[in-house]
Amino acid sequence: MAAAATTTIAIALMVAGGGILASVNLAHLASVLEAQVEIVGFLRRDLTVQQQQRVLASAKDLPGVLSAELVGRAEALKRLQKTYGSLASVGSHLKTNPLPDSIEVRAGGAGQVRGVAAALEQIAGVEEVLYGTPVVDRLVALTRAVRIAGAAVAGALFAAALLIVLNTIRLTIAARRQEIEIMTLVGATPGFIRGPYVLEGVLQGAAAALAATVILVAVYAHLAVQIAGSLPFLPVLPARAALPGALAVVWFLGIAVGMAGSEIGMRRYLRA
Amino acid sequence: MINLDGVGKRYPTGVVALQDISLRIDCGEFVFLVGPTGSGKSTVLKLIQRIERPTAGRVEVDGLDLCSLPDSQVPLLRRRLGVVFQEFKLLSDRSVADNVAFALRVTETDPVEIAPRVLWALETVGMAHRADDLPARLSGGEQQRVCLARAIVTRPRVVLADEPTGNLDPQAAWEIMQLLGAVNLRGTTVLVTTHNNTLVDILRRRVVELHAGRVMRDESRGLYQTAR
Repeated sequence: MAAAATTTIAIALMVAGGGILASVNLAHLASVLEAQVEIVGFLRRDLTVQQQQRVLASAKDLPGVLSAELVGRAEALKRLQKTYGSLASVGSHLKTNPLPDSIEVRAGGAGQVRGVAAALEQIAGVEEVLYGTPVVDRLVALTRAVRIAGAAVAGALFAAALLIVLNTIRLTIAARRQEIEIMTLVGATPGFIRGPYVLEGVLQGAAAALAATVILVAVYAHLAVQIAGSLPFLPVLPARAALPGALAVVWFLGIAVGMAGSEIGMRRYLRA
Repeated sequence: MINLDGVGKRYPTGVVALQDISLRIDCGEFVFLVGPTGSGKSTVLKLIQRIERPTAGRVEVDGLDLCSLPDSQVPLLRRRLGVVFQEFKLLSDRSVADNVAFALRVTETDPVEIAPRVLWALETVGMAHRADDLPARLSGGEQQRVCLARAIVTRPRVVLADEPTGNLDPQAAWEIMQLLGAVNLRGTTVLVTTHNNTLVDILRRRVVELHAGRVMRDESRGLYQTAR
């Protein structure tokens, strides 16, 4: 019975731990994508170098700005030619460079992009501001959805694990009904009766957490290598970054459900 | 020692188990509680152990008012009582000695005292030679002796025996009743519920007869049934 309870807790913890790892990786993916969103403020052509530097300084001071950098028109043309190979010879056909100087700004998060863009537009000398509006909006929505879904999945798994554990531990305690009945009739105190069962619940939870840890560590390490090899564009958190938090939750969950299961399971047998 | 004063018990299902029972059992008495099935004998034992509470009247055991006794004090009440069950209730995975020691261990008795007290209890019921056996290797009579040893090992003030001979052959039943008499001779109050008319008639102890939750008869040297 004890082995059955431990195995059930271990499976529930593995599912919960897997859910947490998936959730933190999705959140990581969202934050990586967020960091790639860029705001470009095109400068008026008549600005002097000093004026451009003042605009750059003002942009850097805006709230929510992570970094800002001045991109000269020559650099912009180079990037254009590099990005679009077919335009490699365009420079030789143009008398002057038609591109404006610009400021490239990175915001702290996708949620701040809109505000930073609006503030940038207000700075004197900035003619036009561009940013990937639909991309930003989708990223903001995706990030929020991932976080809410992650919390919901983790919550549902926690509730499922608690129910499974409660029932399994109730079966364990029911199997020892006579022992508990004799204890209460000869005058053992509820604390004395409860103690070993709660300790057993904690140990079962800890044993299950240990089993879940071993399997989660092995599976995560294997999957991280596999994904890095076959889907290199997907940013996967390294094991040392993703696992400690998830495993802490797994251990807490295992011990908490073991203890709570024993405590609740005992209650009906300890009514005086 | 035990005092029931105007006690009534109605279960939540609506069944009335006891009605206005008054019964006084003094220290050192040996009392048979008799009556047909459903007459309320087991309910009386449950009230004395505070497994159930009365819905009317007062129950007092060894100076404790069980109606006002806080739940935290119930274990201390039960340590003053020893209980013998019809179906023995021995733990099948533990030896005879461990079953008896169990009552001491779970009441946090000084570990140094456990072995000598277990030996004393097993010698009292004549089972010291089977101390290492598992209950399954014992006859019904022997298992009931072990159950009695477990009841007396805590040196209770009262022994409650609920149909202790119900599952035993006449010889074993007689031996158990003799042992309960011996326990009583040492000053322990003994209350026995039984259907065993032969033993009640031979022993001629105080007999309290219940019928439909009421005391029908209370005789100091009674028979199982009076000639009606």
